[in-house]
Amino acid sequence: MAHGDVKHDYHLVNPSPWPFVASIGALIAAIGAVVLMRGISSNEADFFFGKGHWTLFAVGMGILVITCIGWWGDVIKESRQGDHTPVVDIGLRYGMILFIASEVMFFVAWFWMFFELAIFHGHRADWIVPTWDAATTSAWANWPPPHVETFDPFHLPLMNTLILLLSGTTVTWAHHALQTGDRNGARNGLILTVLLGILFSYIQFGVEYPEAGFAFGNQGDVTNANVYGSSFFMATGFHGFHVVIGTIFLAVCLLRVLAGQMTPQKHFGLEAAAWYWHFVDVVWLFLFTFVYVMPYLTMQN
Amino acid sequence: MTHEAAHAADHHEDHRPSLYDWKRWVYSTNHKDIGTMYLVFAIIAGLIGGALSGFIRWELAEPGVQVFTEGSMLANMLGMDSNHSYNVAVTMHGLIMIFFMVMPAMIGGFGNWFVPLMIGAPDMAFPRMNNISFWLLPASFTLAVLSMIVPGNGDWPGFGGGWTLYAPLSTSPAHHGGPSMDLLILSLHIAGASSILAPSISSPRSSTCSAGHDAPPHAAVRVVDSSHRVAARSLAAGSRRRADDAADRSQLRNAILRAGWRRRSGDVPALVLVLRSPRSVHPHLAGLRHDLADRVDVLSQARLRLSRHGLRHGCDRRDRLVVWAHHMYTVGMGLDLEAYFIAATMVIAVPTGIKIFSWIATMWGGSLDFKVPMLWAIGFIFLFTVGGVTGVVLSNSGVDTALHDTYYVVAHFHYVLSLGAVFAIFAGFYYWIPKMSGYRYNGFLGGLHFWLMFVGVNIVFFPQHFLGLQGMPRRYIDYPEAFAFWNHWSSIGYLITVAGVAVFLIMLVEMFLVRRKAGANPWGEGATTLEWTLSSPPPFHQFNELPVIKPDTHH
Amino acid sequence: MKRGAWIASIAAGAMSFAGAAHATLLQGQPTPQGMHLQPAATDIMRDIISFHDFLLWIIVAISLFVAALLVWVMVRYNRHVNPTPKKFTHNMLVEVIWTVVPVLILVVIAWRSFPLIYEQERIPEAELTLKVTGNSWFWNFEYPDAGVTISANPLSEEDARAQGRPYLLATTEPLLVPLDTTVRVLVTSNDVIHAFAVPAFGVKEDAIQGRVNETWFNVDTPGTYYGQCSELCGVNHAYMPIEIRAVSRAEFDAWIAERGGTFASAEPAATTPPAEGATTPATEQPAAAPTSPSR
Ligand code: HEA
Ligand code: HEA
Ligand code: CUA
Ligand SMILES: [Cu+2]
Repeated sequence: MAHGDVKHDYHLVNPSPWPFVASIGALIAAIGAVVLMRGISSNEADFFFGKGHWTLFAVGMGILVITCIGWWGDVIKESRQGDHTPVVDIGLRYGMILFIASEVMFFVAWFWMFFELAIFHGHRADWIVPTWDAATTSAWANWPPPHVETFDPFHLPLMNTLILLLSGTTVTWAHHALQTGDRNGARNGLILTVLLGILFSYIQFGVEYPEAGFAFGNQGDVTNANVYGSSFFMATGFHGFHVVIGTIFLAVCLLRVLAGQMTPQKHFGLEAAAWYWHFVDVVWLFLFTFVYVMPYLTMQN
Repeated sequence: MTHEAAHAADHHEDHRPSLYDWKRWVYSTNHKDIGTMYLVFAIIAGLIGGALSGFIRWELAEPGVQVFTEGSMLANMLGMDSNHSYNVAVTMHGLIMIFFMVMPAMIGGFGNWFVPLMIGAPDMAFPRMNNISFWLLPASFTLAVLSMIVPGNGDWPGFGGGWTLYAPLSTSPAHHGGPSMDLLILSLHIAGASSILAPSISSPRSSTCSAGHDAPPHAAVRVVDSSHRVAARSLAAGSRRRADDAADRSQLRNAILRAGWRRRSGDVPALVLVLRSPRSVHPHLAGLRHDLADRVDVLSQARLRLSRHGLRHGCDRRDRLVVWAHHMYTVGMGLDLEAYFIAATMVIAVPTGIKIFSWIATMWGGSLDFKVPMLWAIGFIFLFTVGGVTGVVLSNSGVDTALHDTYYVVAHFHYVLSLGAVFAIFAGFYYWIPKMSGYRYNGFLGGLHFWLMFVGVNIVFFPQHFLGLQGMPRRYIDYPEAFAFWNHWSSIGYLITVAGVAVFLIMLVEMFLVRRKAGANPWGEGATTLEWTLSSPPPFHQFNELPVIKPDTHH
Repeated sequence: MKRGAWIASIAAGAMSFAGAAHATLLQGQPTPQGMHLQPAATDIMRDIISFHDFLLWIIVAISLFVAALLVWVMVRYNRHVNPTPKKFTHNMLVEVIWTVVPVLILVVIAWRSFPLIYEQERIPEAELTLKVTGNSWFWNFEYPDAGVTISANPLSEEDARAQGRPYLLATTEPLLVPLDTTVRVLVTSNDVIHAFAVPAFGVKEDAIQGRVNETWFNVDTPGTYYGQCSELCGVNHAYMPIEIRAVSRAEFDAWIAERGGTFASAEPAATTPPAEGATTPATEQPAAAPTSPSR
C-alpha cells in the first residue's frame, strides 16, 4: 500500500466495485428465480417476466460468476503483492473458521428437521384428524413411511462414503506435499481429489437420485412420504451442492499450484480449501449414518 | 484510480464526505463510509415503516373501514384499497421496521462506525465483505418493495400473511398464489445473507487489546455477539428453508411443525435486537457520567465478567434460541412443553434485570449532565423495563391464553422495540453524531424531539394494553365499537409521535446548515473511549499508528 | 420512608382504578373504555384474572422501583448536586442482590403459574363434546353426539344495529351451550390456521388443518359471550366472530331437538374421538378462492 505513514500491518483494502456488482447480481438472480418458478408477468410469453423464462436468472447468475472471478482474483493479486501480512493472515483464518461454523449450523438445521420427523412420528400420528382413512393414519405412524423405499446404504452410498474418505486423504497428501516443497505431489494429490469430487457428484446426482424410491415434493395423498423425500433431498442435496463448491475451490487451487502461486510457506488458499473439504466430508459421515443407515435398519415395512 | 482518490482524501485533515463522488460510496471499503450508508438507509426505512404505521393508525382511529377501501385518499394515492392491503401494510411495517430500520442502524450503522474506533483498529478485517453486507440490503429492500406491487392474493398486490409468514396462509394458492410471497421470502433470504456476512468482519486489533478483557463493552459485546449471530442466523436460514422447502412443498398437513420452524426463524432476528439496544445505550451512560477516568466501570465489569463465563450473552442469545415456542402456546403443545417454555422464557428476565440494574449502578454516584443522549438513554431504560415486564406476563402460558394475539402483545413488543430499541438508536445517534458529522446538534431541537416522541409513543402504546386485556385481536382492520375509545387515543398518540419524527428531520437539516464545529470531544472528560481521541469527523484512515492501551488497573 | 409511602399509594391507586373499572365491565363482551380482562364466566377465567392481577402487582412494583431508582439518580447524582463523581467499580453485595431477588420473584410467579396450566390442560371428564371447525371465513360448530351442526357467519351491520346486537361480534346463528356442564372442545380447521377464542371463558385454541386440538370450558353464568378469530387467516380475519349463549340444560335440549338432534345415550363418549366418517360438511373442501371482502 502506498500509505507512507502507515505504521501497522493491517491491510487497507482499495475501493472495489465487486460488492456492489454482486448485490446487483443477487437482486437480478432473485427476481429471475421468481420469474422462472412462478412468473411475475401474467403473460407467459414475456421474455423477461413470463413464467419459465431463464433470462433474468441467467443474467443474475452470470453477474455473480463474474463477481466471483473478479473479487477472488483481486484477493489473489493482493496476496501476491504482499498485502497478506501475518496479522491479515490470521484474520483470513478466523474468517474461514467462522464461515465453516456458520455452515455447520446450517446443516444442524437440516438434521434437526430429519430427527424431529424420525423421532416424533408416533407423536404426530396422535394429533391427526381422526376422520382420516387408515392408510393415511398408518402413513403417519411409521418412519420411514410406507411407500418409501429407502436406499440400501451399503451399495452406492457406501461407495460414495469411501470416495469421500479417500478424497480426504488425497487432499491431505497434496497439502503435505506442498509443505515439503514437493510440487508434483501437490499437483497429483489435487488432481485426484478433484476427480474423486466429480465422481462423487456424478454418482449422487447422476446415478443415485434418479433411482430413488421416493420423491421430492407432493406425491399423491400419502403425505408422510413426501416429508421423508423432502427432508432427504434437502439434506443430501445441500451436501451435494457443497461438494460441488468444494470441488471448484480445489480446482482453482490446482490451477494456482500449476501456475506456481503456492509456496511451501504461503498457501492459505489450499489450506482453506482443505478445511472446507474435510468439513464436507464430516457432514457426509453424519448423513450416511443417520439419513442412510439408520432408517434402513429401523424400517418396518 | 480510485485508490488515488481515496489516498488524496486521506490528506485532508478534516475529511468531508462528498455526495457527488459516487464511487466513494458505491465502491467503499471504509468502515465509516459504510456505517454512514447504513444509517442513511435505516433513516429512510424508518420513515417508510413509520408511514405504514401511520396508515394503520389512521384506519384504526375509528371503527369501520375508512382508509383501506375503494375511493379513499390512500386508495387513490397508493392503490391500497382492500382488507388485503391492510394486511400488507401491517406485514411490511413489521418487516421494514425490524429488518431494515433497527438491525441496519444498530449492527451496520453504529457497529461499523465505532467498533474499529473503540478498539483502536484502522478498519474492519474484510472491508469488501463489509460493503457487500450493506449493499445486499438495498437489493433485499428492492425485492420487498417489488413484493408489494406484484400480484399477491388474486389480483390484490402484496403479501398479507403477517411478518411471521406462517404457512399455510403464506403458501396456499387460495391466499397467496401470486409471486409476491416468493419475492418477499427471497428478500428475507438476502437480508439474512447480509447479516451472516456482517459478523465475518470483526475488526482486526492490536495485541494490546484482547476483546473480552479490557475492550469497551460496546466492542466486546460485538465480538461475542458476532459469533452468536453466526450460529443463530445460520440456524435461522436453515430453519426458514426447511419451512419453505421441505414442509410446505410436501404438503405436510401438520402446520404446527411449519409454524414452529417459522417461529424459530422469525424469532431469532427479532431477538437479536435485544442485545443491540444495550450496546448503543451503554457508552453514553459511561461517557456522560463525567466520572471514571478509566473506561472500565461497573457496567463493563459486570458484563465482561459474565461474558467471560459465557453467561451474559449466553442467557440472552442462547436462551433465545430455545424459547421460541412462547409465541405459540395456543397451538396445543401440551403441558410439558408449555411448562418448559414458561421456565426458559422467564429465566431471561434475570440477565436482563442485571443489565438494567447495572446501568443504573453506572449512573449511581455519578455527576450526570442531562444532555440529549442522556434523556434518550434514561427513557430507554424505563420504557424497556415496562415492555420487559409485560413480556414476563405473556411468558406465563396460563395468562397468555387470554392475551395471545391481542393488542396486549402489540403493546409489549412496541415497548421493547418502538420505545426500547428506537430510543436506544436515538441515544446512540445523538451521542455520536458530533463525532460522525463533525457538527453539534441543536440541543433545543434534540430535547423537543425527545419529549414529543416520549409522550407520543406512550399515548400510542399504553392504551393498547387495555385493548388487549379487553380482548381486541391483532391484525384486525375493523373492530367492535367498544374498542373505539382507546384506539382513538392510540391514533392521537401517533400524531404526536410523527411531530417528533419531523423535529428529528428538522434537527438534522439545521445541524448541517448551521455547522457548529464539534471538536474532538464535545462530551468532556467522561467520554474516554478511543473514538474521542480522534478529530470529528475522524480522518479517512485512522490509527495509522496503533494506540497502546494501558493494562486494566481495576481488578 | 415518605417516598415509599408515596409509591405505595400510587400503586394502590392504580390497582383500585383497575379494580373499579373491572367491577363495571360488561359481561361476555368488551366494554367501551374498559381497561381490564373481561369478567369471568368459568373457573378457569377466574383463575386467569386472579393470576393476572397478582402479576400486575408485581410488574407495577418492578416498574415503579426502576422508575424510582432513575428519579433518585437524576435528582441526587446530577452535575449540580454532585459535582465530583465517585469512582467505585465493584459492589459484590449489590450484584448478588440484583441477581438473587429477581430469581426469587420468578420462583414465586412460577409457583402460581404451573397450577394454572395444569388446570387448563388437564381436561376433566366431559359431559358434552363440541367440535369447532374454522373456515375462511366462518365457523362450523358441531355436537357430534347429537348430530347437530351449525355454521355461523357475521351478522351484517344493518341487522346488528336493527337488533341492537354488537356488530363484528354477533353472528347469524349463535351457538348454545348448557350451563354447569363440562364441554370438551375439539378445534380444527378446513383451510388455514384460525383460532377459536372466547375471552370470558379463558379459552383460546388454534384451529389447525389436519390436526385436532382439545380444550374445555364449564360455564357457570348464563349470558351471551362473544369471541373473535384470533389468528391471522387472510382478508376477512376480522370478520369471523363467535357468539355463544350459555343457557339452562332444558333450553339447550330444546334447541338441539329443534335442529333435529338427539343424544343417543345419556353417557356421551367422552374419551373416544368423534365418530369416523366425519359429519362435518366440507371436510376436504379446498379453501375457497377469496372473494371480495365482506365490506
Ligand atoms: C426487542 C425485542 C423483544 C424483547 C427484548 C422481548 C423481550 C421479552 N419478550 Fe417479547 N416479543 C417481541 C419482541 C421482544 N420481546 C415481539 C416482536 C413479539 C411479537 C411477535 C409477533 O407475534 O409478531 C414478542 C412476543 C412475546 C411473547 C408472545 C406473546 C404472544 O404472542 O402471545 C412472549 C411470551 O412469552 C414474550 C415474552 C418476552 C419476555 C419474557 C421478554 C424478556 O426478555 C423481557 C425481560 C426484561 C424484563 C423482565 C425487564 C427488566 C428486568 C428487571 C427490572 C428485573 C426484575 C424483573 C423480574 C423479576 C420480572 N414476547
Ligand atoms: C422496530 C420495530 C417497530 C417499530 C419502531 C414500530 C413502530 C410503530 N408501530 Fe409497529 N409493529 C412492529 C414493529 C414495529 N413497530 C411489528 C413487528 C408489528 C407486527 C406486524 C404483524 O402483525 O405482522 C407491528 C404492528 C403494529 C400494529 C398492529 C397492527 C395490527 O395488528 O393490525 C400497530 C397498530 O397500531 C403498529 C403501530 C406502530 C406505530 C404507531 C409505530 C410508531 O412508533 C412509528 C413512529 C416512527 C418511528 C418511531 C420511526 C422513527 C425512526 C426513524 C426515522 C429511524 C431513525 C434511524 C436512525 C436515527 C439511524 N405496529
Ligand atoms: Cu379466521 Cu382469523
Ligand atoms: Cu420470543
